Amino acid sequence: MDVRSLVKTLHPLEVKVLLRYQPGEKLDAARLQAELAYKEGHCNQAFSWLFAKGLAAEAGREARLVYELTPLGREMAEKGTPEERILRFLGEKGPARLPEIGEALGLEQKDVGSAFGMLSKEGALSLDAEKRAVLSPTWFEASHAGGKKPRIALIRELLQRAAATDEALDEASLQGEEKAAMGGIAKKRGAGDSAFRAAERELVSYSLTPGAAEVASELKALGVTGEELGAVTGEILEKGLWKASPFRPYNINIPASRLLPGRRNAYVEFLEGVKDKLVGLGFEEFDGSLVETEFWNSDALFMPQFHSARDIHDVYHLAAPTKAKKIEEPYLSAVAATHQNGGPTGSRGWNYGFDREFTKRLILRSQGTVLSARQLPTAKVPGKYFGIARCFRYDRVDATHLSDFYQTEGIVLGEDVNLRTLLGFLEMFAVEVAGAKEVKYVPGYFPFTEPSVEVHIKHPVLGWFELGGSGIFRPEVTEPLGIKVPVLAWGIGIDRMALMALGLNDLRELFSPDLEGVRMRRARETNAGAREATPSSKTN
Amino acid sequence: MPKIEVNERLFFSLIGRRCGRAELEEMLTGAKAELDEWLDEAGGAAGDESRTIKIELNDTNRPDLWSTAGLARQLRVREDHKNGLKRRPDYPFFSREGEMKAGTRRVIVEESVKDARPFLAGFVVSGKEISDALLRDMIQTQEKLCWNFGRKRRTVSMGLYRTTIIKWPVRYRAVKPDSVRFVPLQWERPMNLSEILAEHPKGKEYAFINEKLPLHPLLVDSGDAVLSYPPIINSADLGAVKVGDSELFIELTGTDLVSVTLAASIIACDFADAGYTVEPVTVEYPYDTAFGSKVTFPYYFQTPVSVEAAKASRLLGKSLNVQAVSEALERMGCETEIHGQYVTVFPPEYRNDFLHPVDAIEDVMMGKDLSFFEPERPHDFTIGRLSPVETFSRRAKGILVGLGYQEMIYNYLGSGKDYIERMGIDGAEVIRISNPMSENFEYVRNSILPSLLGSEAVSSRAAYPHRIFEVGKVAFLDETQNYGTSTRQRLGFLVSHASADYNEAASHVSTLLFYLSREYSIAEGEDPRFIPGRQAVVSCNGRNLGVFGELHPRVLEAWGISTPCSAGEIDLETLLES
Repeated sequence: MDVRSLVKTLHPLEVKVLLRYQPGEKLDAARLQAELAYKEGHCNQAFSWLFAKGLAAEAGREARLVYELTPLGREMAEKGTPEERILRFLGEKGPARLPEIGEALGLEQKDVGSAFGMLSKEGALSLDAEKRAVLSPTWFEASHAGGKKPRIALIRELLQRAAATDEALDEASLQGEEKAAMGGIAKKRGAGDSAFRAAERELVSYSLTPGAAEVASELKALGVTGEELGAVTGEILEKGLWKASPFRPYNINIPASRLLPGRRNAYVEFLEGVKDKLVGLGFEEFDGSLVETEFWNSDALFMPQFHSARDIHDVYHLAAPTKAKKIEEPYLSAVAATHQNGGPTGSRGWNYGFDREFTKRLILRSQGTVLSARQLPTAKVPGKYFGIARCFRYDRVDATHLSDFYQTEGIVLGEDVNLRTLLGFLEMFAVEVAGAKEVKYVPGYFPFTEPSVEVHIKHPVLGWFELGGSGIFRPEVTEPLGIKVPVLAWGIGIDRMALMALGLNDLRELFSPDLEGVRMRRARETNAGAREATPSSKTN
Repeated sequence: MPKIEVNERLFFSLIGRRCGRAELEEMLTGAKAELDEWLDEAGGAAGDESRTIKIELNDTNRPDLWSTAGLARQLRVREDHKNGLKRRPDYPFFSREGEMKAGTRRVIVEESVKDARPFLAGFVVSGKEISDALLRDMIQTQEKLCWNFGRKRRTVSMGLYRTTIIKWPVRYRAVKPDSVRFVPLQWERPMNLSEILAEHPKGKEYAFINEKLPLHPLLVDSGDAVLSYPPIINSADLGAVKVGDSELFIELTGTDLVSVTLAASIIACDFADAGYTVEPVTVEYPYDTAFGSKVTFPYYFQTPVSVEAAKASRLLGKSLNVQAVSEALERMGCETEIHGQYVTVFPPEYRNDFLHPVDAIEDVMMGKDLSFFEPERPHDFTIGRLSPVETFSRRAKGILVGLGYQEMIYNYLGSGKDYIERMGIDGAEVIRISNPMSENFEYVRNSILPSLLGSEAVSSRAAYPHRIFEVGKVAFLDETQNYGTSTRQRLGFLVSHASADYNEAASHVSTLLFYLSREYSIAEGEDPRFIPGRQAVVSCNGRNLGVFGELHPRVLEAWGISTPCSAGEIDLETLLES
């Protein structure tokens, strides 16, 4: 990095060091503290940054003993040591037995005992005939005579010095008596019950490298002093300090720090996006119970109770209760008659004895079409309805199968809906919801629709795949539920689209519990419906 | 949906010509079939006798398509029709009501099978040696027909026999299971019927069909030699068919006469297409059936369907006259007659899927090709809207995101360990599945909290604080409901960091409900999932909304979580109504 660029990356802590000292001078934390009024942490930062930029080099290492204030020490600095508190207590309340003192001050007996021991040895306290601790009337004067300081006063100074600077006390900075006093209140190990922790520290000294001189002259040439304004503070604004001093430029190339924002889930947003698209196409949302009956799940959809078509909907049964209390009439009788002989629908029916107990069996909804069937009795004509329904399948869970997953289903009721309007809807879904450019339709098979059509779309990478299935509900489905007009029914598979949009290839990821993964997940923009163009349609 | 494997050479010879992949895929759509696997590029020489094509059939009501000959027939008829050749196959060997053919042989049904497996249909094929490819195909057809269409052989099963060594007439009777012994296929020594069910692999597989019957069905010839023990296994003697045999007796037995008859018709047509002569067999019942007491098979039983051209036009959205409707149906292999504005459709011998005129109308669609019907934008105006719960949920989600929460979404099935044990609840309201795939998916969640805790349990390495929520469904047992259960939309949230506590949860609930414009009150709760005295039950206008508080360390320990968590759950539907 050239000098000009390097200068821009310097922090004021570095700038002041570079301007003040010559290459080769021995620098250590104590010197910067004394001469630049840096705090200990600032010294370390300045050295490590200058070192990283090659502007300072290590000049030597020396082991030092330092004393760090413990949490207990900090408390003593604020509230007093046990000795100070005992003296104060006796001064205010007069003589007292040791247990009374401990109780009144909330001190443990052993602490009171050892404090008393030290103080009586120094002549500050004694025991009277009633075993009460009594303050010596002469001790205070005697101990301070001739500018002397008693031990407890030295301790008080050490505690306050350490608490005020928030820095460790260097043993080298202690006077003879202070060293002795410190010896009584510091420990190397197990210092939790002492005021200070004694620690070995390596004191590293540095010197500026020859290259630092060039940087210093560039700083001078630019007029950088290290006194430039840092963060904009209320004080700077209130006092107008910014008018007199320039702002320090920041290194804007430092990577932005990571935040943990509140955020929507990418898959849920995708699902809501599909809902919004469908609402935009005039569909009204429906929803229902996760627990259903065989009746609504299959019988109302004219899937015969015996037929192999029911094998494709292997369902989960409830352990208890196993059956619904009742199935709504007149639908039950109408559906039963339709299965048996077609009833009044013009169908010949499935020609078997409809089981009215079996139909009450409770299951977990296995297909979203249940919601369409349930909607029929109260549906408006014309009407369009959709739902994104959680469904349950008897499948082994793997990358392409889940125990529960979403199906997107809907119906369109109208006097004039027909196969061609069905294809028109499929085209709208392909363009608006899936963003397809190419669409094709092939005949399909679903037990509850006739005719039935599958819609396939072309993905730029994956090629053709089935977007969904659809058809016109059989009269055996609609008429028993009181609907006399044709009803288009459709379902679109959006899981695959979701995987594509989220850049995933395993369905289990959609419902991932992993917080970090979910936090990092992003959806790609889809261009569904972005262009008001008719896709090239192809039919087979 | 059945998948079949067809011999490539046999398949194309039945269609009448070879074709490439793209063309085959296109043709298959006319039978609602999909090409599953065809190694035409990578496979061996084009003449390789054993090369196969795998095809998936989507229409579960068209068992006639589940064989090489049947599928080829559908494709051939459609193609020929397009090319101006009307080659609807002719199957003159069918009997009809009032036109019973004279059977070349007889099967005598005895009264004893009436309560066991009452129906039998059969015929003889001759005139050509059975090739390896054809034998394989027959075995596949038998499997698909009897498994998918015949409901695992319950309603239909099939047997093939060497006709020449049978002493006619054949007798179909029911016997005590220990009264008859014979050597079944794939076995060395004679066994009685009970032994077959207990020891033979096929016996064990299909024992469920016969084991409760007092008398078991049995097919014997006039010399009392066993043909087979329906629907379990053939005899190793009369019932062992090999490549090179040229005269076979084929019978189908079952519990539903229509299904048995249709299956027989399908197989007879397949053999006829493959160049065999089909010789009808007369079955004499001691009881009356829907087709009479003396029926010669193959038997055409289907009833015609009448389609009004105007109805077809309306459903398909395209004006079609009776001629157009009739043409399209004939292309699909149906015979038709025009009567005024109606077309009478006679289903082909091998089909019985016209339940309603709409089924014929779909055949009109397929006969015309889908490309004939241009997509059309709908005309009806309707107002789209989200459900009230969805709209309300989105408002709640917005507030939670503003409070710094990451939205999650979870599965609804889980284990008893997660939903009950680890939560420290009795589980009395948790819905259990009686036929779970595994114990990992045995219960429906009754609360969002275990889902959120599941996240915490696997996310201790994600940077803290953790604030997560989900809006989703829960379901639980509820005797007041018709289904004995309730499904509710709930909001669950969880906060986890070193100082997560009751107050944080309380502030968040307070903020949420303030911005949802709901007044609420709280009361002390006794939910075992939370620390006593640090949990609150929330209610609005006297209705219970849910609970929040500090999760109990017992629960956290059960999940292996060592960071404090506070959490809560609110019923959004109740809140919406309050």
